[in-house]
Amino acid sequence: MATTREAVPASWVHLCRADEIGEAQSRGFDADAEGQDSLFVVRWQGRLHGWRNACPHIGGAPMAWRRDAYLNAEGTRIVCHAHGAEFMPDTGLCVQGPCRGERLSRIELVVDTDGELFVKS
Amino acid sequence: MKIVGLESLIFGVDDVRGAARFLVDYGLTPVDVSDRRGRFEAIDGTAVVIARQDDPALPPGPVPGCRLRKTVMGVADDATLGAIAAELRRDREVRRLPDGSIESIDDSGFVIGFQLAARRPFVLAGEISNAPGGVVFRPINSLGVPPPGSVIRPRSLSHVVYFVPDVVKAEAFYVNRLGFRCTDRFTGTGPFLQPGGSLDHHTHFLIGAPPHMHGVEHFTFHFGGPSEMITNGYRFVEKGYQAFWGPGRHILGSNWFWYFNSPFGCHIEMDADMDQHDASWQPREATVSADNSQTFLLKMRKKWYPGPGIPENGDYA
Ligand code: FES
Ligand SMILES: [Fe+2]
Repeated sequence: MATTREAVPASWVHLCRADEIGEAQSRGFDADAEGQDSLFVVRWQGRLHGWRNACPHIGGAPMAWRRDAYLNAEGTRIVCHAHGAEFMPDTGLCVQGPCRGERLSRIELVVDTDGELFVKS
Repeated sequence: MKIVGLESLIFGVDDVRGAARFLVDYGLTPVDVSDRRGRFEAIDGTAVVIARQDDPALPPGPVPGCRLRKTVMGVADDATLGAIAAELRRDREVRRLPDGSIESIDDSGFVIGFQLAARRPFVLAGEISNAPGGVVFRPINSLGVPPPGSVIRPRSLSHVVYFVPDVVKAEAFYVNRLGFRCTDRFTGTGPFLQPGGSLDHHTHFLIGAPPHMHGVEHFTFHFGGPSEMITNGYRFVEKGYQAFWGPGRHILGSNWFWYFNSPFGCHIEMDADMDQHDASWQPREATVSADNSQTFLLKMRKKWYPGPGIPENGDYA
């Protein structure tokens, strides 16, 4: 869940405007500039959640099937499109598939008073 | 039994439109696509078929999370179709469907179908290497690298890889009941299987896995050669699709590979130049590891020469 701060340290990485990610939408970010999205953000029941783009089934496996496509069609689950593991968007808990019971690793997000979304780094 | 290979794979999906676009971008040709279903063909007519996951015409998957609902194999003649029906009726239901095909279930819970093979014969040269001393060369002035904008299409449905909870039982079904041969094996993991009417190294690969992984690892189509396949893969990446492993070349089967994530709850692969074997081939056995499954793995280097804005050591810096 994103928390709000007045100002953010210069080292934090700017992602986008927080309101660019609508309800039940997801977006990936190449925050480490490595040519591969290292994290993604989903909005679920109004709140933003950041997750490392690394499936617990196979350490480090990227999860989207197309750029920014991390969710099922209804937007109710995060899906790893390698072998179909399904995760709760708010807790990161795997509820179906090969890594059931394991969790995604959370990325701490910050929204500043101007509504810009950052990730700590 | 003259089973010639995979005819089609049928998936239930939650987003028909998205899955359809994915398959077209992969290179398949859409046939009869609607909001509810669609068929996507390779050059020879072998296909992936998708339908909405709640479509009542879809058979059930082996487990609830598995999107693959049916694997259809092609057979050479009516005699084979009859022989398979008779063999499977000994211990399970075999349904004859209105289209003349038969449907049953394997020993791992995957619904399987058999029909007269409907592949369209075609002639289209595969990739040829100009090797000094060689016998076959590309026509003079023809290009080895597919030019930008050239059309690249998958040629034929190649193989499917199942995660199965009891790999010994799963293999026995295909070998003893349907006449498949093991061509090579990963120790403790599972066999590469070739049906009686095919020379391909494998149309099926079985991986023993815990019950919660029961389902599909990947499926793939053959492309015309490594250059075509890798070019197609880069185009796919540029369209925003997520690569998983590759491009590289496997050791067992020698097939070039590139794996991608997919909306089918499994990987999709592009493959090319798989070995062919006949009954005289002696299966090899290897332990499974990345080293034993890739003979090499290629990486695109964006910056490869020293120049303005590029560190002295290029990409290595
Ligand atoms: S790597 Fe994510 S489900 Fe297998
Ligand atoms: Fe494969």
